[in-house]
Amino acid sequence: MRVRRVLSGTVAAGTVLTLLAACGGGGPRGGGGSSLSGGKIVLGVLNDQSGVYSGLGGKNSVVAVQMAIDDFLAKHGDKAVTRDISVVTADHQNKPDLAKTDAQQMYDRQDVDAILDVPTSSAALAVADVAKQDKKLYFNIGAASDDLNGKSCNKYTFHYAYDTNMLANVTGKTATKNGAKSWYLIYPNYAFGQDMLRGFTTAIGSAGGAVVASAGSPFPNPTQDYSTLLLKTSGLSPKPDTLGVMQAGGDLQNVVKQYNQFKLKDQGIKLAVGLMFITDIHALGPDALAGTTFTDAWYWNANQDNRAFADKFYAKTKTRPTFDHAADYSAALQYLEAVQAAGTDDSDKVVAKLEGKTVNDVFLHNGTIRAADHLVTHDAYLAQVKPSSQVTEPWDYEKILETIPADQAFNPPSSDCHM
Amino acid sequence: MSELVRSRLRAAGLPGWLRWAGLAVGLVVAWALPRVLYPPVALDILCWALFAVSVDLLLGYLGLLSFGHAAFWGTSAYTAGLLAARAGAPFPLAALAGALAAALLALPIGYLAVRRTGIYFAMVTLAFAQMVYFVANQWRSLTGGENGVQDVPRELFGMDLSDPYYFYYWMLPLVLLGLFAAWRVVHSPFGRVLVAIRDNPIRARALGYPVHRYKILAFVLSAFLAGLGGGLFALSHQFVTLDDLHWTTSGQAVVVVVMGGIGTLWGGVLAAALVVRLEDVLSLAHFEQVGLITGGIFVVVVLLFRQGIWGTAAAASRRLAARIARRRPG
Amino acid sequence: MINFLEQTVNGLVNGGFYALLALGLAVIFGMLRVVNFAHGAFYMLGAFGAYVGLREFGLPFWVALVLVPVVLAALGMTLERTAINRLARLDPLYNFLFTFGLTLILQDLVKWRYGVNANPYEIPAGLTGTVHIGQFGFPAYRLFVFGFAVAACLLAWWLLARTRVGMVVRAATERPELTGALGIDVGRWITPVFGFGIALAALAGVLAAPIQAVNPLMGADLIIVVFAVVVIGGLGSVTGSVATGFGIGVAGAWAQAYAPPIVAQTLVFVVMAVVLLIRPAGLFGREEGVA
Repeated sequence: MRVRRVLSGTVAAGTVLTLLAACGGGGPRGGGGSSLSGGKIVLGVLNDQSGVYSGLGGKNSVVAVQMAIDDFLAKHGDKAVTRDISVVTADHQNKPDLAKTDAQQMYDRQDVDAILDVPTSSAALAVADVAKQDKKLYFNIGAASDDLNGKSCNKYTFHYAYDTNMLANVTGKTATKNGAKSWYLIYPNYAFGQDMLRGFTTAIGSAGGAVVASAGSPFPNPTQDYSTLLLKTSGLSPKPDTLGVMQAGGDLQNVVKQYNQFKLKDQGIKLAVGLMFITDIHALGPDALAGTTFTDAWYWNANQDNRAFADKFYAKTKTRPTFDHAADYSAALQYLEAVQAAGTDDSDKVVAKLEGKTVNDVFLHNGTIRAADHLVTHDAYLAQVKPSSQVTEPWDYEKILETIPADQAFNPPSSDCHM
Repeated sequence: MSELVRSRLRAAGLPGWLRWAGLAVGLVVAWALPRVLYPPVALDILCWALFAVSVDLLLGYLGLLSFGHAAFWGTSAYTAGLLAARAGAPFPLAALAGALAAALLALPIGYLAVRRTGIYFAMVTLAFAQMVYFVANQWRSLTGGENGVQDVPRELFGMDLSDPYYFYYWMLPLVLLGLFAAWRVVHSPFGRVLVAIRDNPIRARALGYPVHRYKILAFVLSAFLAGLGGGLFALSHQFVTLDDLHWTTSGQAVVVVVMGGIGTLWGGVLAAALVVRLEDVLSLAHFEQVGLITGGIFVVVVLLFRQGIWGTAAAASRRLAARIARRRPG
Repeated sequence: MINFLEQTVNGLVNGGFYALLALGLAVIFGMLRVVNFAHGAFYMLGAFGAYVGLREFGLPFWVALVLVPVVLAALGMTLERTAINRLARLDPLYNFLFTFGLTLILQDLVKWRYGVNANPYEIPAGLTGTVHIGQFGFPAYRLFVFGFAVAACLLAWWLLARTRVGMVVRAATERPELTGALGIDVGRWITPVFGFGIALAALAGVLAAPIQAVNPLMGADLIIVVFAVVVIGGLGSVTGSVATGFGIGVAGAWAQAYAPPIVAQTLVFVVMAVVLLIRPAGLFGREEGVA
């Protein structure tokens, strides 16, 4: 069996090679966390590049961060604290354990000074833990959990872009004030969904509305079937006038599909979405969602400044930026500016430069980096999906109904946060 | 060379001195591992070695394919993690308590599962593991749901074990103990009975052995070992997630055992190292389709190399030994 | 009351998928003694076949409904001839493992090419409306799925009960050696039957495309539920698989509508545990050598 022998040999060789490949990185952890990085700055983009949230950030987040680096270097020229600034990236596949390992590898093996993005609340919280232990900076942009600026807050973690309370305050309160009085909430039955349920119930109640009923869907949901939950609406009394959907990403897309199939809109039940990205609208097509109101942290076509950024982004990626991309850009830039101001990448000194800072840039309007809980507050927007008849160019899906000022959009610091 | 001696050689596999040499090499490698590899990877290899051995105990010696062993790995992980995080338990205690919890869980599951064999057994264990997964998912107040249990400390009488490099050496004795226990079980009268049950259950029953009880006991022992691995895994990652209970984790354990060689015990250890390392290498190279590679290798092994890596190597060295023996007269 | 009816019908629709998949699994097991872990992957490939067919080749739904199962059945039969057949003389465990490895490969291949996100697939024109019977309203397409699933199961029953092939399959399922000893060439039917089972899975996939998320992992968790269904129904029993499939679908819908979430998720496994205690061979199964 000559073929067998050859194959066995190959297998054996392969085994040995794999075991030995890229050996190194062994030995005890040296020097702890925050040693000076030796004349360079390395930014790490850790997010989902192949899964349900890959459209939100994905590989294009790296592009956004690189744009920030380029703009920073262009602005400061030779006076920049260093010209050796690079980006590395990893895909955490929405798995918290993987995210934790990736974050550790980035800080330990790749000399990363600051990690950015990290969608999926469970992954985000895991990385916060690593940042705290390694004493290195972490700007979370992609995840919603308010625990990041609540009970899991720490000195090196900043919660940029949005949190579950902001979503509840903007969509929940505003929609209720505009006529949605009785709600039926459905949510994915895991931490994020349950946080959203809590937040929305509070927000709706404080605006004078009421939650008639709520129901959780399994997460993960193997059959992606929400029909049972949606059918419940006709049996509820009083009959709700609004369906609040807290599912995100692929789950959301299926809920919306089935909402349309069951013709709930014709039964007088409007659709409000807790968390939607422009990529969801793009995937479903605007007509599937026409008329739906939701919260957006940023919209590329809202004004000229946003559009200018979006055009530069489009030139590199052939797609329009989501709020995540814009926030990645903003956070990276703010970090680099803070390092420039501090003259060092020592984490504590950079944090000191960031805390309390007010910022107005392409992403943050009336933005503040709060010292108390490291939440970055800013103006948020209540948006509505346009029907395809009103869409004038690709990705032109949103109509901004209202701007919600920062202090109304975000909650005050939570008492659970102890830095 | 007489037929008897030749058959003895075949049965023993290898001459005795080679076995001691093998043990020595294994210990040296175990000692050197965190020096040449990124320490967290070395920690994973140890945990998965235990996991693989636990699955092989059932599959190789009892002929039962458990496709839901993540239920034990994960239950232990959560128990150990929670004990360490909420009660500040020192890590050996937490890990052993986790293993115990896994063993306790194995009692009802094993009782029901061993009523079937073969494929049925695999499907039943898979289904029960899925049930445990969903319960853990719902019991959010205990398990943290999708967030998992974060901030699992590593405690040992106040010593700082935060550096994974040093933790490896603290963990190693427990792991070696577990592996030794597995080896001991297999090379014991109890182990012999298991093999007898696998080969001919009716005869075993006719000989008076309470077959069901042996199966359940073996199942519980296997769960204990898997639990030990899982508990230590939780402590090395300082983090427990639902992934630890997911059927893909069970599946990976089976893949590792088959790749290593069913019924070889040490094949599982070697294959565990290989698979963990492979995943590490792939992730550094940003290749996401790990399942493609492991699945591909797995399929090739199942089709062509059913003895697995260890089995193929052992067979090759047996042929070599036989050839040497034949050259020497008488 | 209307709501209860709607939930029940919805449960029957879900049950249709379980039944189709369980049926394919049971038929393959009966004939080949292979538990096809890759059944879920073929279901997924069926859905993707419809999606890709529409996107790349402009194939409408009705064409896909016929073409995709045929293509995938051919693929399945090739696999059977080249790999599964080779493992047939060994412990059935190896084929189970092989199909598991195959699942990993197929899933990751699709993931590589299409990503993990859900891909949109529209309900075919003509079925987008709602059917109204008095106060009871239900999406037309879902009713169609239910009807189609029932028809497919009836067809399978007819094939098994009334044709020569079916007779051979039933005989081979219950008494393999005796059938062979009587001079019946069981072998030549193995590959076609495998293909038929795969075709059923693919068919379920195409039917699912408009109402469920077309993504590489759509079959993965589903297959475990289907395994539990066939254990409950009795692995060798075709009637059992179909009846249990529909039954679990309805029970699951009731549980999701009227009970806490944990009940709906674990229901099928709890039932399986109970069945194992009371009737290990399954509700419709016979005590076989597989015990």
